[in-house]
Amino acid sequence: MLTRTAWLGRLAPALLGLLVVAGWEALVRFNDIPSYVLPGPLAVAETLWREGPGLLAALLVTLRVTLAALLVAALTGVLLAALMAQSAWIERSLMPYAVFLQVTPIVAIAPLIIIYVEQPFLALLACAWIVAFFPLVANTAAGLRSADRGLQDLFRLYGAGRLQRLRLLLWPSALPHFLAGLRISGGLALIGAVVAEFVAGTGGSETGIAFRILEAGYRLQVPKMFAGLVLLAITGIGIYGALAWFSRLLLRRWHESALPPRS
Amino acid sequence: MNVFDGPLGRPTPASGLTVRGLTLRFRAEILFQDLSFDLPPGRFTCLLGPSGVGKTSLLRALAGLMPVRDAEIRCDDTGSPAGRIAWMDQRDQLLPWLNARDNVTLGSRLRGEPADGERARMLLAEVGLAGQAETQPAALSGGMRQRVALARTLYEDRPIVLLDEPFAAVDAPTRHRLQRLAARLLAGRTVLLVTHDPLEALILGHEVHVLSGRPARIAATLRPDGLPPRSAASPALAAMQAELLDRLANADSEGLP
Repeated sequence: MLTRTAWLGRLAPALLGLLVVAGWEALVRFNDIPSYVLPGPLAVAETLWREGPGLLAALLVTLRVTLAALLVAALTGVLLAALMAQSAWIERSLMPYAVFLQVTPIVAIAPLIIIYVEQPFLALLACAWIVAFFPLVANTAAGLRSADRGLQDLFRLYGAGRLQRLRLLLWPSALPHFLAGLRISGGLALIGAVVAEFVAGTGGSETGIAFRILEAGYRLQVPKMFAGLVLLAITGIGIYGALAWFSRLLLRRWHESALPPRS
Repeated sequence: MNVFDGPLGRPTPASGLTVRGLTLRFRAEILFQDLSFDLPPGRFTCLLGPSGVGKTSLLRALAGLMPVRDAEIRCDDTGSPAGRIAWMDQRDQLLPWLNARDNVTLGSRLRGEPADGERARMLLAEVGLAGQAETQPAALSGGMRQRVALARTLYEDRPIVLLDEPFAAVDAPTRHRLQRLAARLLAGRTVLLVTHDPLEALILGHEVHVLSGRPARIAATLRPDGLPPRSAASPALAAMQAELLDRLANADSEGLP
């Protein structure tokens, strides 16, 4: 059972949200702001309801790109980090290029990728992958390096081979770091997919949510832009929540970050 | 009962260890110069020295985890000690993502052998953790974790066992129980225990070497009367403990008033 303070703690963010939304609605109503300048939350909700099916279909397209990019980023990130863990030289040779990918703004690279990669889905995936990739590599590489020295000694003493060391010591030690990277990259992959859609324009036959927002902007359908934004925000929060849950599920029995608090 | 009659140990033939002319450096500092000593087979030998004297480096060198030049480190049959050494540390060094039983059988998995679950179960029962085989280390107390580590050390069934202050991180009553448990379960093996606790050395050691100086050398060797584990209540032991504390304090007093 939750105590009164705990209930208040849970209610506080919801109350604040309600307050802001009510203030927003009041601002729009009292000042007679036209909906193509700033729609009130009720107008946005009404648009969301009316346009819901179409927007959700578009969201699904974007979500597919996001999740595929996240999956590919996780696989390539872990592979590259494992390669880096094999020798300091490999790490030193590869890391600058990973950083290079990370610091170059995706809006600047996306047009090139869209020119070079003909298949629209793959082009969008590549853009989202570039953004999501670095936190996974950097975190996993740091995790692989962080295995306890005493345990490394023990593994050598008891005759562990390279593969056993990687599988039974380095990888579990890196898992919490990898999962932290995954939580960051989940949101970034969504941002990458959205940015790529903005740059790509119509791209293919299917259009994602970002393109719908852009389109609504051209037509001055501002409430629809807001509705799309709301959907995107909910999706981002959903991705983060799902990854946080997944992380807790994997770590709950042993890692400090997921253990129940000491009584 | 002789422990070797039970399922806990195949009769591993005890082997002593001979160390001659060992020189160890840590960065620019010489920790040990031309150090020589013997570990008699089947006995507890204690190395007693203040913290920072280089005891852990010494154990790592003996275990082959650290390169040594020119030194002679060999077993009685003149073979290399590689593969004959088990290790227990003051930190339990359990893998937090494995349960107690899988931690005990870790060595098997590392060598790609099938794990001997039955043996692990008996060893856990022997250290008083029969019901905790499935428990993760995070749910065990410090003393329990150290007992799992002891069971893992025994699971390896190696003739030579190196103990690096194995009971330094637990409270005094737990330490007392663990010392007796270790003395019983490790009997018959060649054990080297490094510690900074004179009482622990006197309770457990057939022989106690006192390290001091820099580079450290063996300043004195004590052979207390009677067989370990000795009772801490004996007046002779108390007197020796006082003497050893004085000696350690003097060796450690550089720069102190």
